[in-house]
Amino acid sequence: MTGVMTSPQTIPALLEVRDLAVEFATYGGTVQAVRGVSFSVEKGKTLAIVGESGCGKSVTVQSLMGLIPMPPGRITAGSARLNGVEVLGCNVINGKDIRGSQIGMIFQDPMTSLNPTMRIGDQIAEPLQEHRGYSHKRAFSEAINLLSLSKIPEAAKRARQYPFEFSGGMLQRAMIAMAIACKPSILIADEPTTALDVTIQAQILDLLQDLQTETGMAIVLITHDLGVVARVADEVAVMYAGKIVEQGSVDDIFYRSAHPYTLGLKLAMPTNDPDKQHKLNPIDGSPPDLFAPPPGCGYCPRCPFSMKICDSRPPENFEVAVQHFSRCWLHHPQARISPAAPSIPRELYVGERA
Amino acid sequence: MLWYIGKRLIQGLITVWFIATATFFAMHNVPGDPLLNERATTPTIRANLEAKYGLDQPVTTQYFIYLKNIVRGDFGISFAQENREVNDIIREHFPVSAILGVLAVIIAAVGGILWGSLTALYRNRLPDYLIMFLVILGISVPSFVIAAISQLGIVTLNNLAGTTVLPVAGWGTIYHMLVPALVLGLSTMAYLTRLMRSSMLEIVNSDFVRTAKSKGVPPARIFARHQLRNAVLPVITVLGPSIAAITTGGFVVEIVFAIPGLGRFFVEAVQQLDYTVIMGTTVFYGTFLVFMVILVDVIYGFIDPRVRMS
Repeated sequence: MTGVMTSPQTIPALLEVRDLAVEFATYGGTVQAVRGVSFSVEKGKTLAIVGESGCGKSVTVQSLMGLIPMPPGRITAGSARLNGVEVLGCNVINGKDIRGSQIGMIFQDPMTSLNPTMRIGDQIAEPLQEHRGYSHKRAFSEAINLLSLSKIPEAAKRARQYPFEFSGGMLQRAMIAMAIACKPSILIADEPTTALDVTIQAQILDLLQDLQTETGMAIVLITHDLGVVARVADEVAVMYAGKIVEQGSVDDIFYRSAHPYTLGLKLAMPTNDPDKQHKLNPIDGSPPDLFAPPPGCGYCPRCPFSMKICDSRPPENFEVAVQHFSRCWLHHPQARISPAAPSIPRELYVGERA
Repeated sequence: MLWYIGKRLIQGLITVWFIATATFFAMHNVPGDPLLNERATTPTIRANLEAKYGLDQPVTTQYFIYLKNIVRGDFGISFAQENREVNDIIREHFPVSAILGVLAVIIAAVGGILWGSLTALYRNRLPDYLIMFLVILGISVPSFVIAAISQLGIVTLNNLAGTTVLPVAGWGTIYHMLVPALVLGLSTMAYLTRLMRSSMLEIVNSDFVRTAKSKGVPPARIFARHQLRNAVLPVITVLGPSIAAITTGGFVVEIVFAIPGLGRFFVEAVQQLDYTVIMGTTVFYGTFLVFMVILVDVIYGFIDPRVRMS
């Protein structure tokens, strides 16, 4: 390995993102969409990035892929190292584009994410021709294999069809086949099931997991659906207002939630248990205006546990347990002893998994 | 696809029949009559002439004779010019108009697609502003003004060069065709540029272009494979009406550049009330346009699979 080691004491992760900050210059001012995001992805694991609309989760991964239109977008700080090599702001490493070869990506709306005037097979063959130098014929027959790997029946016939002849679920399978064509080490899935109905959603998630076991690729899953997270994730990062507020294993996040926002999300999940309450528990208020982000914690105005300090100083990232981080002043040693600090009800911590 | 083409051809034939019928009855309702001129005709001569041309028959009978002749490809004899059949006029002069028109359409389409893509890719930068300024000029300045100015330009060029680089007017060689075709296609080119620009801007930000980027396809190939083919669809849609605009606009350019095209005969026939020539050229032009539009639709089907298969 010729790459630069990030931290000498540990083996560098497959993908290591540090302090990423992205902003957009608009007519109304500058939107600070991502404000210092750090995470790492391990080989063969699934990291889920959760958060509500506009919290910066898509911008985070799109800036890694060089898909942010610049201008108006601008990466102001941070680094992203793939196998120890910096990839932020430059997608071509050693004369090769890492996109499609080392990182694959699938998107939210499969209906519009494929070229309507190009055969499905040709679109899947494209990265193989581009990165591996396959002839069109060879790439097309490989595309048929990839389609059957993605569990599309009659793959040879389907490869000759156009996107308008496919259903939404089938298109997302084709998208997956396209993204994994060159056997990338990371697959970024940007809300892959949002546009699909629930049964298809489950099939797509199963397919992703099967492919992960077969190929050993890591998956970065962007979603706002906690049900999806619980189903597939190993690690979870909860994003709010351009920052990761809580980060840990899927069990840490669901059973030992530390950040009030994660708690709020969990409480807001609808349940179909007839014995339990039927009313939704939304988080009141709305996220802060990222044109002028608040000096303190972004969640402060909506937080039932907010303290005086929350309004003025951004919380530090506390390690509440091993590899479980929460960006909240409640974890400060002084907050625990301070009479002003509220205690988070114990039952909220150990809430049932939905 | 064959079924689609067949369906379009039948639709085209119905359109042509409609044009022929409308022309016939319109000409019948025009005041005046072909035998009315300076020389006084006695009622006997008049009756003889009417019998000769079938004008004493009821209108419906005349209409069916007219339709029968059209189906046989016979548009009759000119009233105003001696010993000239309408078919001869079309045969001699239509190829000239057709070459000019086709050349103008090609220049307009290629230019429109090229400049439109360029402005979209250089959005809000100097090439965009410059081309869009010229586009507004091209749309707003009428073709006879541009024709005259371009003639002046050719004269200046020839004077500077000392020899005839380009002929100012006339017809014969490819050099005679270039400038008139450019002038004729200019306003359509400007219109297509605008259309191509907005269509390309939409495609540049589309999801499937983002997908292509995420696959690591280099920009030049994204442009050629993903953007161009999709962005060009709306341009092809309006190409049919554009052909109509260019062929009818051709009359003016033909006169300014002294080109022996069909347009001049068409206009003169209307001025002289040369009934058969008016009807013949109208029906002929109508048929030509209808089938050009069908051709464009078929091309569209080849480019967009959604049209081809539905």
